[in-house]
This record gives sequence, C-alpha cells and structure tokens, in this order.
Amino acid sequence: MMESLAVSLVNAVPALSGVPLWTMTLLVMVVVAAVVLTFALLYAGLATYVERKVAGDIQARIGPNRVGPVGLLQFLADGIKLLLKEDIIPAKADRFLFALAPYLVFIGSFAAFVVVPFGVGLIASDLNIGVYYVMAISSLVVVGVMLAGWSSNNKWALLGGMRAAAQIVSYEVPVGMALLPAVLIAGSLSLQDIVRSQGGLLGIFGWNLFHNPFTFVSFFLYYTAALAETNRTPFDIPEAESELVSGYHVEYSGIRFAFFFLAEYGDMFVVSALATACFLGGWHVPFLDAEALPVAWGNLFSLGVFLAKALGLVLLMMWIRWTLPRLRVDQLMRMSWKYLVPITFFNLLGVSLWLLVFHGKGIPAMIASIFG
Amino acid sequence: MGLKEYLHDIWEAVATTAKGMRITARYGVDPRETITLQYPEERWEPSKRFRGFLYNDIKTCTSCSMCVKVCPVDCIALEAVRGADKKLVLVSYGINIGRCMYCGLCVEVCPPKSLTHTSGYEKATVSRGELILHFVTEEAGEIKARVAKQVAEAAAKAEAEKAAKEEADKAAKAAEETQPPDAPPGKPRAERRESPSTILPATPVFAAENPGAGDDGEKKPAQEQKGEPANREEPPKEGGERTE
Repeated sequence: MMESLAVSLVNAVPALSGVPLWTMTLLVMVVVAAVVLTFALLYAGLATYVERKVAGDIQARIGPNRVGPVGLLQFLADGIKLLLKEDIIPAKADRFLFALAPYLVFIGSFAAFVVVPFGVGLIASDLNIGVYYVMAISSLVVVGVMLAGWSSNNKWALLGGMRAAAQIVSYEVPVGMALLPAVLIAGSLSLQDIVRSQGGLLGIFGWNLFHNPFTFVSFFLYYTAALAETNRTPFDIPEAESELVSGYHVEYSGIRFAFFFLAEYGDMFVVSALATACFLGGWHVPFLDAEALPVAWGNLFSLGVFLAKALGLVLLMMWIRWTLPRLRVDQLMRMSWKYLVPITFFNLLGVSLWLLVFHGKGIPAMIASIFG
Repeated sequence: MGLKEYLHDIWEAVATTAKGMRITARYGVDPRETITLQYPEERWEPSKRFRGFLYNDIKTCTSCSMCVKVCPVDCIALEAVRGADKKLVLVSYGINIGRCMYCGLCVEVCPPKSLTHTSGYEKATVSRGELILHFVTEEAGEIKARVAKQVAEAAAKAEAEKAAKEEADKAAKAAEETQPPDAPPGKPRAERRESPSTILPATPVFAAENPGAGDDGEKKPAQEQKGEPANREEPPKEGGERTE
C-alpha cells in the first residue's frame, strides 16, 4: 500500500526518480501518519464539543456557546488551557511510569486508527490481520491505565486502574466474539475485505447487520461490549467521579491529562469505526458503488459515507452516556460473564452453522435469489 | 436462575434502555426544553414581593429611627437634627447592604412607608465600604449648618418679637400709668419659645457614624457615639449666631 503509493509518486513526478524508493516510502508513511493523527486530534477536539452540546441538550441546558460561533472554538480554548497548565507529578509518584502511562494509553488508542478503512483507498495500512490488530493494540490501553493507577501512588487511582483492567480484560472477550461473525462472513481479517464483502446490489441489505439474525444481535452485543471497553458511562466505573474522584487519571494534569482524554475519544471513534466496517457496510451506500467512481471522487465520497456512519455511532454513544446511570462493579462483571460472553458464543455458533448450512448466503441474498 | 428469568432480564435491560433513550432524545431534540437563562443578557423578572436592595425615600422619611431599632443586624445608621419647625431633619441615612439580611423588618415597621425593597440584587464593589448605600446626597455638615441657621433665625425672630412685645408693653404701661396692668397674653408663650431656642439648635437625635465603614466588625452600637461630631461642631456656631 505504502510502497505502491511511493512507486506511483516516483513515476508521476520525474524529478523524484533519483530518490531511492525506501526514502520515498518512509516519507509517504510519515505523511500518512501525520494526516491520520491530525484527523484523530481534530475529531477528538470536536467530539468533546459535540459531547458537551449533546449533554446540554439532553439536560435542558445550552452547553458551550461563548467561544466562537455557537461555542465551536471551545475545544481550542480547552486545548490551549490544558497545554498551558502546570504539569504536576506527585512527590511520591513513580516518575518514570507516571510519565510513561499517558503515552501508552494514547498510543494504544491511536494506533488502531492505522487500519480504519476510511474509504476505498483511504486506509493507512490495510493489514491482513486488521481486526486482530485492533483487538491487540487496543489492549495496550489496559497497560497504560494500570500503570497510571499504580504510579500515581493514590488509592483512588489504584482502585480505578484495577477496575479498568478488570473491566477491559473482561470485555475483550465479548468484543472479540461479537466481531468474529463479520470475519467469518468475509473470510478475512482485513477490514477492507470485510467492507468489500458487504457491497453489491443488495444495498443496505448487503450489510452484515442484516445478513442473518445472529449477526443482527451480534452488532448490538459488539456495541455494548465495546462501550464498556472504552470506559464510558454506563460502564465508567474506572473513572466513577462519585466514588473514585476521577479514577486512574486523578493525579494527572495539563497535557498528560489531555492525552487520557484524547485517548478516550479516540477509542470511541475506533470502536464506532470497527462497528461500521464490520456490520454497517463501511463506506458502502445503497446503489452507488464508490469503487466504480473516479479515484479521487470515489475516495472522497466513501470517506464521507464512512465518517457519517462512524460519527453517527459516536453520537449514539454520547446519547447513551447521558441517558444511563453507572453500573455497579459486580453488575458490570455479571453483565460481561453471565450475559454477553454466553450470548456472543451462542451467536458465533449460530453464524457458523448458518454459513455452513446456507453456503455463506444471508437472508436478503436468499430472498433476492428467489426473485432472480 | 432459570432460563425464563434470564431471558426476562435481557428483555428488561433492552426495554428500559430504549425507554430511557427515548426520553433523553425527546429532551435533546426539543429546543423549547432549554431552561438555562443567559444571565447577563437575559434575566428573570423578580416577583413583586422580592426583597431586593432597600431604598429610602428621604422626602417622606420622618427620621423616626424605627428601622434602626428594629434591624436585627444593625445595618442601618441614621442621623437627624431637630429643625426650626421642631421636626427632625435627616442628616444622613446609610444602609450597609453587605450586612443586610433582607429580612424586611425595617420595611414593615416604617411608619411613613418611605423605606421599601427594590428589585435590585446585583452589586459588586471593590471595597466593603462601597456596600453602604447613602440616601442623603447633601453633605451632613451643610445640612447641620443650614438647620442651625434656620433655628437661630427662628430664635432671633422670636426674641425680636418678644422684645417688640415688651417694648410695646412698656410703652403701653408708660402711656397708661393709671390703668391696671393686664396680664400680657403673649408672655408665657414667648418665654417658652425662648428656652427651647437656646438648647434646640442642631440637637442630634441620632447620630451614628457610617455603619461598618472600613471594619464593621468593630463598629460600636449607634447609641454610644450619639451626636459626637454634631456636639463638637454646633455650640460655637450657635454662640456666634446668638451674639449677632
């Protein structure tokens, strides 16, 4: 992917023909990484604004409306404020781990952006183990969160970190199990392949969501479990303001705190993007094949479609957050191990049997084949 | 836990979540539900009986000092002098709104209903001294001087009248030596008038320094400082006027 881009760039611009290929590839990689990071940061900033607006609307308030038109520049003001704040490291903290933790969390969250299929050709790196990669890299967040809790030398932080670890480890299981049906249907772990498998003439019914009853349930199971994995209300017991002050990042301030904050919003997007790619057809829309369009337009169009779907799911997350109260710790664990895990296993079995019995055809496809 | 219960739990979770989200969505979408008031730009209309800052209409105020006596936190300070027509003249009237607890007792007790609550509630000052509302705009010394002058004039007039009357009486006596003198009708009145005129000018009835000016914690009760500045100032003036 990167190499092909570098090659085509060298071919397109004669002046670059003298440059060795690896330099060009490296350059392209750095540029792509910068673009993805910029997008991620911009998105995270705007998401905080939208979150506060949604919260305001739901609670019959107004929300931010002072900085810029309708408060749109609020996130810039917040960001600058966080940058200018004093960076405090507690005296009894483990300084090295304390400094390391936010980076681990941030990396764990934003490294997942690499395989997000933004458009037809818009993917930083189309790994052939895409889904697996996301699952693995986002587990890095647990390490960061635990380090943060431990190194702060604060009882609340430690409790928050422990809770977060328990929660994320528990919910990794249903998340993985709920994603597997999409992998089974596509026969590939690459997210682009999964998205492509949902295209075709069936339009919205080509999506995995409507493939069969099991995948339909799977989507909601995935979304619920993923919500828990991002540590957001109603599953925000690691943060739990009312019990743990603010959990594992209670001792963090300034830019280090901002890293945790950005990571949370990054996680939200990754989770939503994965749900979009695996169940909602990725960048597919009914009756318009983005791949058939000219490259530039196709990419732009598919990018818009994908972002609309993913950000819609992010909005849904905010909506859920401002609706439901927080679960108790034991309720959280019970929900994962007694409900989500068995049901996702059952679902996985169901999808596998379905694919075996009906030779990989979904209900919409079967109905379509009846009518020719 | 039976299967039926298990499935019921799941159903309940889904149904209640959906119900809750429907409610929040309704609030989220409906713009009329926003009840936040953008304070500096928009304000609530205070109710009619809202007890805001106090206001004293000094034109109708009789300086009776009922408000000073009734105030539980001693935030009102009043100073008045006896005028030429024997009515009290307000020299200064201050309300320390930093101390006032807006109980409304002073408004209730005010006989001429000159003291009222306004709807005002916004005030920010740099120092605590600025929290004292003064309702008499004129300088206290000026008022006292004016009143003292008026009183002295009235006294002089009365004296002149008396003198004129005595003169007239004398003349009458001289003229009608043989006739028995009848009791002068104006005499007791004149005498009575004379005696107050010597003590009355600018007798402070209530004089308290600005309540809490600077440090209200150490403020002495109003009665203790009664009329100190007024007494110091008045006697020489009085004497001077009388010698004229």
